[in-house]
Amino acid sequence: MSILGDTWNVCWRELKRFRRQPARILMSIVQPIIWLALLGNMMQAITPMLGPGIRSYLDYMAPGIVVMTTIFGGVFGGMSVVWDRRFGFLNKMLAAPISRSAIPIGKMIASSLISALQATLILCAAIVMGANVATGPLGAVAVILIALVLCLMLSGISLALGAVIKSHETLMVVMNFLTMPLMFTSNALFPKNLMPGWLQTIADWNPITHTIEPIRTITTNGWDWANILPNVAIIAVITLAVMAIATWVFRRSIS
Amino acid sequence: MPSSIIKTENLTKIYSGNIKAVDNVSFEVEEEEIYGFLGPNGAGKTTTILMLITLLKPTSGKATVCGFDIAKEQAKVRDCIGYVSQDTAVDENLTGKENLLLQGRFYHLPKDILEKRINEVLEMVDLADRANSLVSTYSGGMRKRLDIAEGLIHRPKVLFVDEPTLGLDIQTRHKIWEYIQRLRIESHMTIFLTTHYMDEADKLCDRIGIIDYGQIKVVGEPNELKNQIGGDIITLRFTNETGSHANQAVEEVKKLSSIENVVPTKDSFNVVAKDGETTVPKIFEVASKAGATIESISLKRPALDDVFMTYTGRELREETGSKDDLMRERIRMRRARM
Repeated sequence: MSILGDTWNVCWRELKRFRRQPARILMSIVQPIIWLALLGNMMQAITPMLGPGIRSYLDYMAPGIVVMTTIFGGVFGGMSVVWDRRFGFLNKMLAAPISRSAIPIGKMIASSLISALQATLILCAAIVMGANVATGPLGAVAVILIALVLCLMLSGISLALGAVIKSHETLMVVMNFLTMPLMFTSNALFPKNLMPGWLQTIADWNPITHTIEPIRTITTNGWDWANILPNVAIIAVITLAVMAIATWVFRRSIS
Repeated sequence: MPSSIIKTENLTKIYSGNIKAVDNVSFEVEEEEIYGFLGPNGAGKTTTILMLITLLKPTSGKATVCGFDIAKEQAKVRDCIGYVSQDTAVDENLTGKENLLLQGRFYHLPKDILEKRINEVLEMVDLADRANSLVSTYSGGMRKRLDIAEGLIHRPKVLFVDEPTLGLDIQTRHKIWEYIQRLRIESHMTIFLTTHYMDEADKLCDRIGIIDYGQIKVVGEPNELKNQIGGDIITLRFTNETGSHANQAVEEVKKLSSIENVVPTKDSFNVVAKDGETTVPKIFEVASKAGATIESISLKRPALDDVFMTYTGRELREETGSKDDLMRERIRMRRARM
């Protein structure tokens, strides 16, 4: 199947490019680390309100910050399409006999792998700062895999927008406009049961919440499958749908 | 009899807003020839290429490349063509070799063949010693050479090259021309290129199609086109004071037996004459009789510029378009480095 090979080639290029930009890796993890250090201490007082199994606010927010890192990383999925279009690289790929779908899929996978790496670094930083992972190393791997699913979803959104918007400045603004509210209407940094009713409703519908839920269960509680599986199923379905739509939008934008 | 490897029939592209970028264009390119589209920026050159390489759907008309329909057999067309865009689309964050590797994989070349080809094309464009350096350290000319090498990696039957020397300095341009000529001799490839540089078209192309406002004005070999002008070019300019006498003088000039054609331009007249040297004194004679004073007069053998002028009624100024393009290129480069 040439689509698999083509997808890997597109992905390979993105990963190679990323490796050549150490500043990008560094910058992308500095901000979440600052958040961890600042918020982790600032919000310490609300720890008793956060529920059983949580020893500190850092325990509570670490999953939120890990997910935040993948959200910011996901934005780049679409950026690379905009760049490639501007520099003519997209046309070069399209002139070659490669599967059209391989381009968006390869880019989504690459940007998710990169985000997963960043998320791993943040998780390690959180653990060094004292955050708990109740389920041990295996739990940490599960956390990253769940974050990876969310990242595929976000890079899909970003890619679909990038295929239509065609200017990286506009795309950046639109993605920021999307990501910040997504973040703050979820339970990433603040428990849902302390939110006003209307905000709880939004949080219930927010895919970020359904990503954080299982991650937090794994880091603070243990392998509570009744909580983990339904949430993971929800984001997996949404992610597959978003990826399919993004691929369709991309294909439409080039024909 | 040589067969046509590219063939278009009434190929037309109308962009939204009713902009006719390519207007009923029909032409044929024969195997192993270098065929050039010569025209100013915005004439429809790039749009034509994008249609032929299957990236743009024609609004109407038909075209085949390597015998395959560009609208119905896109995959087959893509397999047999190479494309070098005017953007110099090489990835700065990869090395030269990695760029070629990626390109070869896009064309599904087997690993062992790809290895050999990479070394081959690197030799050909004299980049072997810089193969493992990042492209961000390459000069503009080196990037273009790498870009051309990428277009060759899968040995396409037809290579499409859009503005091969846009924004490059004179020396580099001559180098690129050499590569393209060598390419044709060594690989028997058909090359379709576009350019707005007269000298480039003259030097490189076996045949030229002059394109303006989306239409082909004339097709022929550079020498044939120049000969078609039918004589030498005398450029004639009258003093400002001459005023309406100038037109009278031109009417008289037209009556001279050696005159083939007179084309008015913005501030002068282009006279085509069979025997330039002996015609010049005669022009002086009839002009002064008509009461017109000649400010300057020049005589030259026809060049492609004159061919362009004859068929489009305007000059193809190299500076006008390329300045914008240069600016664009510079912005691009700057952004890429950030």
